[in-house]
Amino acid sequence: MHPFTYTRAATSEQAVRALAAAGPGARLLAGGTTLYDLMKLGVERPSHVIDINAVQELSGFDTSGPRELVFGGLSRMSDVAADRRLVEGYPALSEALWRAASQQLRNMASLGGNLLQRTRCPYFRGGAPFACNKREPGSGCDAIGGIDRGHALLGGSRSCIATYPGDFAVALVAFDGEIDVLGPNGARSLPVEQLHRDPGDTPHVETSLRPDEVITRIRVPATRAGRASTYHKIRDRESYAFALASAAVGLEMDGDVVRQARIALGGVATRPWRAREAEEMLRGRRLTGRAAEEAGRIAMRDAQPGSHNEFRIELARRTVADALTIAAGRA
Amino acid sequence: MPDGKYPSTPRVDAWDKVRGAAIYAADDARPRMLHGALAVAAVNRGQIVSLDVERARAAPGVRLVLTHQDMQGVQSAGFLLGGGFAFQSFQPMLSPAIHYRGQPIALVVADTVEAAQHAASLVAATYAVEPFQLSLDAPAQDIVAQHGSPLPQATYADKVAGDADGAYAAAAVKVDATYLSPPQHPNPLELLSTVAEWRDGTLIVKEGSQNSGAVRHGLARQLGLDPARVQVLSPQAGGAFGQKNSHQSHTVLAAVAARRLDAPVKLVVSRSQGFHGASFRPASRHRVRLGADRAGRIAAAIHEADQQTSRHDLFPASFTEMTARLYGIRNFRGHERMVRTDVQTPGYMRAPFEHPAGFAFESAMDELAYALDMDPVALRLANDTTVDPLTGRPLSSRHLAECLRRGAERFGWARRSMAPASMVERDGTAIGWGVACGAHKAAASPAAARLEAFADGRIRLAVAGHEMGQGIRTALANVLARRLSVDPRTIEIIVGDTRAADQHLTAGSWGTASATPAADAAGERLIQALRSLDPGYSGGAPAEVLRRAGRASVAVEVATKAPGQPDAVFQRLQGGLPAVQGPEFPDFVSMSYAAHFAEVRVEPRTRRVRVPRIVTVVDCGRVVSPRTAESQVRGAAIWGLGSALREISETDGRYGGFVNADLAEYVVPVHADVPEIDVGFIDEPDPRLNALGVKGLGEVAMTGVAAALANAVHHATGLRIRELPIRLDQLLAAPAARPT
Repeated sequence: MHPFTYTRAATSEQAVRALAAAGPGARLLAGGTTLYDLMKLGVERPSHVIDINAVQELSGFDTSGPRELVFGGLSRMSDVAADRRLVEGYPALSEALWRAASQQLRNMASLGGNLLQRTRCPYFRGGAPFACNKREPGSGCDAIGGIDRGHALLGGSRSCIATYPGDFAVALVAFDGEIDVLGPNGARSLPVEQLHRDPGDTPHVETSLRPDEVITRIRVPATRAGRASTYHKIRDRESYAFALASAAVGLEMDGDVVRQARIALGGVATRPWRAREAEEMLRGRRLTGRAAEEAGRIAMRDAQPGSHNEFRIELARRTVADALTIAAGRA
Repeated sequence: MPDGKYPSTPRVDAWDKVRGAAIYAADDARPRMLHGALAVAAVNRGQIVSLDVERARAAPGVRLVLTHQDMQGVQSAGFLLGGGFAFQSFQPMLSPAIHYRGQPIALVVADTVEAAQHAASLVAATYAVEPFQLSLDAPAQDIVAQHGSPLPQATYADKVAGDADGAYAAAAVKVDATYLSPPQHPNPLELLSTVAEWRDGTLIVKEGSQNSGAVRHGLARQLGLDPARVQVLSPQAGGAFGQKNSHQSHTVLAAVAARRLDAPVKLVVSRSQGFHGASFRPASRHRVRLGADRAGRIAAAIHEADQQTSRHDLFPASFTEMTARLYGIRNFRGHERMVRTDVQTPGYMRAPFEHPAGFAFESAMDELAYALDMDPVALRLANDTTVDPLTGRPLSSRHLAECLRRGAERFGWARRSMAPASMVERDGTAIGWGVACGAHKAAASPAAARLEAFADGRIRLAVAGHEMGQGIRTALANVLARRLSVDPRTIEIIVGDTRAADQHLTAGSWGTASATPAADAAGERLIQALRSLDPGYSGGAPAEVLRRAGRASVAVEVATKAPGQPDAVFQRLQGGLPAVQGPEFPDFVSMSYAAHFAEVRVEPRTRRVRVPRIVTVVDCGRVVSPRTAESQVRGAAIWGLGSALREISETDGRYGGFVNADLAEYVVPVHADVPEIDVGFIDEPDPRLNALGVKGLGEVAMTGVAAALANAVHHATGLRIRELPIRLDQLLAAPAARPT
């Protein structure tokens, strides 16, 4: 681990000022579940770590409001996952949290930090001798032509095919979640769907956050589609693994006819991936097994396989179909 | 108990383990302790051209940086299978040569582990690289047949009985299939770790090992020391699984640094470095041919296999030693080849040969059952034997048919319908039931034991053996407690300590069969010694006898060996060298057996495979510690599941080494994967092998589990998958079953 200095912020404003003062080598410390891991690997080498765990206004959440659900950026994944109103009214959001990581990690990890979790690409995490444009811009991408079984089928570029690993952001994207951020020039909001960037030629720039901004809140508009929802996650084992393919689905139904569908894919793309064409296709249709499978096919229509990950195209199609079936069963 | 069965004694060290009082090597923390960290090679083959350690030396807290230029006089410890002590003949850092990516190129020692790791990251090397190869499809010059090689031919020559090729050609029903098993890493939870220190010219090493004798003699050879000047303490290993069965590459580095710095040095090899710095299960490929008559009587079996080795060592396979003996097949031919690849030398990982061989052979048996349209249990029962097909000698005991019958009963096998994809839940979930058998040599090594009873009530047993979590202390306590009629909790058991007894490798499922007979014989000797003090003594706490006789203590020593072994094996025991006999003994052949029954459920759309239950029934002779034995079988079922459905060490042909070198990406089962596991034991003693009738358990319990699962997947889906691990990659390659 490389030497670094450490300070604690007591308020969001202090954290923002400390970020601005410390410059580009600074990192915020929330749960530490990703940051410390990457620091030990030498992938993250912050010169300055600003601990925001003592910032009171960032913790806590409120799922009782009629218009929106509100989550502090520092609320812990395990606390939110266990919230009864979420479990009953928005199972997709709860499942996306408790199907991630392990209980120990969820106890520590914050929602804001979770949105920013970095890829599990082994060429990114492995360090030398692997080339990685995310880790060292311009060095190349060894995932392309390498062990790409877990890599992105959607959204990749010639510079990077790293999969966005998170689950909660996928569910948020399905439900039009927004984040509030605080920076030196004040507060702003943006849709979670605009938080993560396509890798393009700059895969090291992963989000549209500025380096001196703090995620203060996550907000989700209240919707009837919350109840008939699921986060369906298929992985190499039953727990404690990243998705080979996942689907966050929410449905508003008239009997067995779809009034509105929300579908987002995880584990198969470089960022949380909303499948709007599949949603459109389902609108006004009876949700038969065939329709669900067609939605899966449309969602994966633009998939580009590499050497070892083609099976996940079919897997993702079927994951979407199963997720739609599960969600419909909750309507 | 009147039937001779042993009671289910709680694990004697359970309380210590849950309190954290069981001490592992890296738990040693002392004020003057220094910490090491390794810098490792970034290329897979070549030579170091330049090595810049100046920045590392100048980093805060650094006391020492060792490279190949600082190791004058240090020797290789020699290869375990070549008269030496180490998992490979190659000792890193004795020259600029690089034989595999991840090979240590420098050791940094600092005041804290963080300072050492940081400084290690500052070591910079340049290399002259050479081409390398990693594949089983290697050029001819990289393939070495074991038959006719420099390896001991008594063990490694082709296994031949009758005329397999002729009988196969003439057979009415045939199977000919090829199976693949990937490289896998055992990943014991306890990382490879060593604390080395010197006291008055004596080197004291703490290291979790299953072969403290080899660590001792390996270090003595490497450093030119009298072995009397080396002490190795390995009271616990936090999992070993064969990876810790010999002298490791990092240990001597810690010893040299400790000598230079005159302070204890702790070196913990990181998880990722452990993927490259120690042995692993090599890739192997098996072609199995079976020929039978229409009644299911197997006339011929031919098993040919290639297994990966390193470029610098010949690590041989013993696949066909087991498959030749699994059934009564009179015409058998086994042929094994080693394929040189540019890796650290692979080695023994739980059921090292029996697991991949069992997957291949028992999958082929299932294919034969379907070719014959014959129930897979009935096929196996029709090919039972009481005679060893290779030698014609009697088997000392064999209860495989009883394992099959009891297992089938417990599992409910009679309700199975034969046709693939014929058992389906209402929601379309496919149900698959599979069976497979396993066998493993029942071997034994010499063991020395010293048993001491004290007037204050203590009883202390020191014996050759290692505690790797399997429960050898509990087995020893159970045996000795019965022999002496005392409470097992009053017995202190010292294992893995070269100061207390000469230590032999504990592996190959011979640990209990070697150590418990020695403990039992020592108990008998102690009773005789107590009778000489009090002729009326007939068991019970010895303290009373000692007090009446005015003695503070009485000690006895015994040494036991396997049937037919010459006394010369005790010299090998004293020299830290393997001295194992089995499965062949002068008058008989001994094997342990297991039958496994597995159920899988395959989701209709995604084809995700779940395993709700596994039934295993084992013939391991007398069960001397039922509690820990059941635990061993459960662990084996879980590992079999991992090996069948989860685990693979991925290689990238451009770089060598292993890509998924951590516990997130190397996928082992988690609790949510673990099925209901029903364990049964035949528990019939095998008195020809040793007085207690103990055979081996740890490895036979895993042998065949993967095949039972693969056969269950076939039964559920109709897909015959011949490459491990069985994952969605293969299951989705074929059209899915539709919900009904």
